[in-house]
Amino acid sequence: MAEKYTFKVNGCERTVEVDADTLLIDVLREDLQLTGTKRGCDNYTCGACTVILNGKAVKSCRTTMDKVQGGEVITVEGVSNGKELHPVQKALVDSGAIQCGFCTPGIVTELVALFDNNPDADEDAILKALNKHLCRCTGYEAIKDGALLAKQLIKERQR
Amino acid sequence: MEYKYIGKPLPRPDAISKATGKAIYLDDIRIPGMLYAAILSPEYAHAKIINIDTSSAEKMPGVVKVVTGKDCCIRYGDNIADQTPMAVDKVRYAGEPVAAVVAETLEQANAAVEKIKVEYEPLLVYTDAREAMKEDAVLIHEHQEEYKRLPTLKCIPDTNVANYYRLIKGKGEEGFEEADVVVEGEFNYPIGSAAAMEPHGSIVWFKEDQSIECWSSSVCPFIIRQELAHTFDMPVSEVRVHIPEIGGSFGYKSDITVEITIAWIASFVPGRPVKWVATRREDFTSTLSGHGIRTFMKLGAKKNGKLVAIKSKILHSGGAFAETPVNVTITATHNSGGPYEYEHCFMEGYTVYTNTTPVGAFRGYGHPESQFATERLMDMLARKLDMDPFKFREVNYLREGSIVASGEKMWKTNGDVQAAAKKIQEAIFDGDKPEEDEDYYYGRGFAALSKAPKGATFSTKGCYMKMNIDGSVSINMGGAEQGQGLRTVVKQVAAEALQIPPEKIHCYTEIDTQFSPYEWQTIGSMFTVQGGRAVIRAANKLIAILKKTASQVLKADEDMLDYNGEYVYLRNDPSIKVAVKDLARGYITSDGITIGEIAQASADARLPRYSNPDPETGQGTLGVEYTFGAQGAQIRVEKKTGKVIVDHFASSFDIGRVINPLQARGTVLGGVLMGIGAALHEELIYDEQGHQKNPHYGRYRIPKMRDIPPKSTVDFIENPGAVGPYGARGIGEHPFLAVVPAILNAIYDATGIDFYEIPITPEKMKQALADRKENA
Repeated sequence: MAEKYTFKVNGCERTVEVDADTLLIDVLREDLQLTGTKRGCDNYTCGACTVILNGKAVKSCRTTMDKVQGGEVITVEGVSNGKELHPVQKALVDSGAIQCGFCTPGIVTELVALFDNNPDADEDAILKALNKHLCRCTGYEAIKDGALLAKQLIKERQR
Repeated sequence: MEYKYIGKPLPRPDAISKATGKAIYLDDIRIPGMLYAAILSPEYAHAKIINIDTSSAEKMPGVVKVVTGKDCCIRYGDNIADQTPMAVDKVRYAGEPVAAVVAETLEQANAAVEKIKVEYEPLLVYTDAREAMKEDAVLIHEHQEEYKRLPTLKCIPDTNVANYYRLIKGKGEEGFEEADVVVEGEFNYPIGSAAAMEPHGSIVWFKEDQSIECWSSSVCPFIIRQELAHTFDMPVSEVRVHIPEIGGSFGYKSDITVEITIAWIASFVPGRPVKWVATRREDFTSTLSGHGIRTFMKLGAKKNGKLVAIKSKILHSGGAFAETPVNVTITATHNSGGPYEYEHCFMEGYTVYTNTTPVGAFRGYGHPESQFATERLMDMLARKLDMDPFKFREVNYLREGSIVASGEKMWKTNGDVQAAAKKIQEAIFDGDKPEEDEDYYYGRGFAALSKAPKGATFSTKGCYMKMNIDGSVSINMGGAEQGQGLRTVVKQVAAEALQIPPEKIHCYTEIDTQFSPYEWQTIGSMFTVQGGRAVIRAANKLIAILKKTASQVLKADEDMLDYNGEYVYLRNDPSIKVAVKDLARGYITSDGITIGEIAQASADARLPRYSNPDPETGQGTLGVEYTFGAQGAQIRVEKKTGKVIVDHFASSFDIGRVINPLQARGTVLGGVLMGIGAALHEELIYDEQGHQKNPHYGRYRIPKMRDIPPKSTVDFIENPGAVGPYGARGIGEHPFLAVVPAILNAIYDATGIDFYEIPITPEKMKQALADRKENA
């Protein structure tokens, strides 16, 4: 049974009419054409589909629409401000943390949520967050460097 | 020589579009009227198809067409034409497409595909080459001798051996008569998956105007174009293949894989594009897997440590179709000697049909699998000779003037393996290793490596370069960016060659065979070498055109002119000059009359003198551009759990010239971690019925952030090569090559246990430690 769901995506209110068991990833990618959110697996293990729901990083492939109703979603497309990259994006770019880029949107949203909630997140918290994401290209060092640089850039921006 | 742009850590030109989610991958493409396909896999890995009942599926909502392999007479493949787009009378592996549903939505296609009923008559299943090679084995391909194949390839009729390759150097096996000491062993590199983050997929559209348009997450658009045209009997020029961003490949998105299947399905719904994207499970079961190589190896040496002979036999469980594994087997065979010289070689490679997912390219293409044996045996032979393993290797390293197994003479410009080994010795083996304590055994291991490219003799990479009216430059090539960073390389090499800052050089993004210059396929760590050389050749032509036009403007001979990226000027009086931007579309004189030609150039580059092997001896120029390196590991084995922990991993490669240090380091760290995964936990496991037991990330565990070694050393040596731009060699596959033997040699150092197969899971380690205790 299709139902109406109204929620904010990247600051704009949107309404979709989908079945109750529809997953957020499908609404984003298929109904709203926000294809920056990636699908890398079938069973919630890769982290590529991570988005921010009500301030928390969630896997959109295991988030049903009833959890989204009335909420606020930020996808990778909503993180930068026009041409101005979010510090997390800039840090990942500058650190060489991006190779094929397929895991990048999930990592960007994960880190944005992490630092929004706790700009002082320590290395352990950063690694814990990043350990939810699979990357086959980089060997993770540059991603870790990028996350640490992002923290520094965010701090500088707040000053 | 001082370089202005080579060797600098330039950011990747595609990083921002990837960080903002704007980069378009295959599954992000939407075309009006697009349909979706779902594919049915068989119940059995080897069975005759008795009947397929599609009637219920056809009645499901949204279904446009149900497709089977009935009456399909397509056989395709570049090397051995043994593949069909869909199973015809029998199925040969559990991931083979049996039928498909095309529907208006993916959900509808998925729902309908479950309604297809298939009756099978099961046959014996072989998941390992040794079983499939037994004399009374059931044939997986009944009449393989009838398949078209390259003239260099030979099957053994009435067996499951799809190809037999042999190499003989010197006296071959008789060479062991000269040996004082011999070691031998059997090593198994099990089947794995590249498991790139983006699952493979394709879109194919048969158009009313008799053309085909295709999009694929592939690194070989021109092979797809050629095979689609050939298969569906139309001119190559009427097939257009697009390659969007690729979310990782590591080899398995090379060669033609899923595209002909999707084309077969789409050919039943002409006029509408059909999309299929693998689920993660299908990416494991129904695209290409890797490795599956068992190596029997024997090494013989003189008492003084000089190697004299090698015998190797490669048994490749290649999967149900040999088209993609056959060259992996050959490469594994002729490179099985590693970076050492042997006077006598006898090497054999069997590509064997098995009822498993076909094996394809996987980072290193045969090298890591057979050199796993070489590097383990080198340590064992040193032990038997009572020699220091570094000194023993030093006696035997390939160097200028050495002759490799395939008969090629090594040049000084092939690089220096010994220098790389020294770097690893310093990084890992300086000082004493920690003493065994209550919780851990400690060990250090070393392995050297060599890599020859795998090409085709005609393999080339094209480059088209045009100068714009402001003096900026646009470059178009056919190389597939799959994360390796070739766009950065193109920019940096072009900047250096043209002496124009990289900000004024634009590198192409997606590939479209309608516009892109020809490239064979982007594999074998060869883009920097061949593609970079093509960029330089095009740049030189473009500069020559600028000078030719300038010679008319400046009224001076071309050879009196110099070029500096901004101006063409008279060598002996630089004040007499013309700006390159004024030459870009020819030079417009004061009365408007335009002279000269547009500043544009095209060029290509292949490996010079790259040849096919001799059919009898396997000898030939099969490498041309070798790359050498060495790797080392410092590890701990946890006594309680059997867990192997890598504390420090070091790599050194002679890559001739580092184009971009940031990118090169990232490539190495990624390759090393993939190798740690292979050594310690990655294996695609088949049950006896030929079904994969772990086709998902949860149980095919690839390394995570927490798995990275606390310390990583990455070192590059720069002895310039003869072919690549500014002496650069490839680095894409190399970091993966010697990780496994380095770790296994370290495990021996820690525990005294010799392992002959991977992965070394904690359970296996614990068992081996228990067995050791029992035998003590």
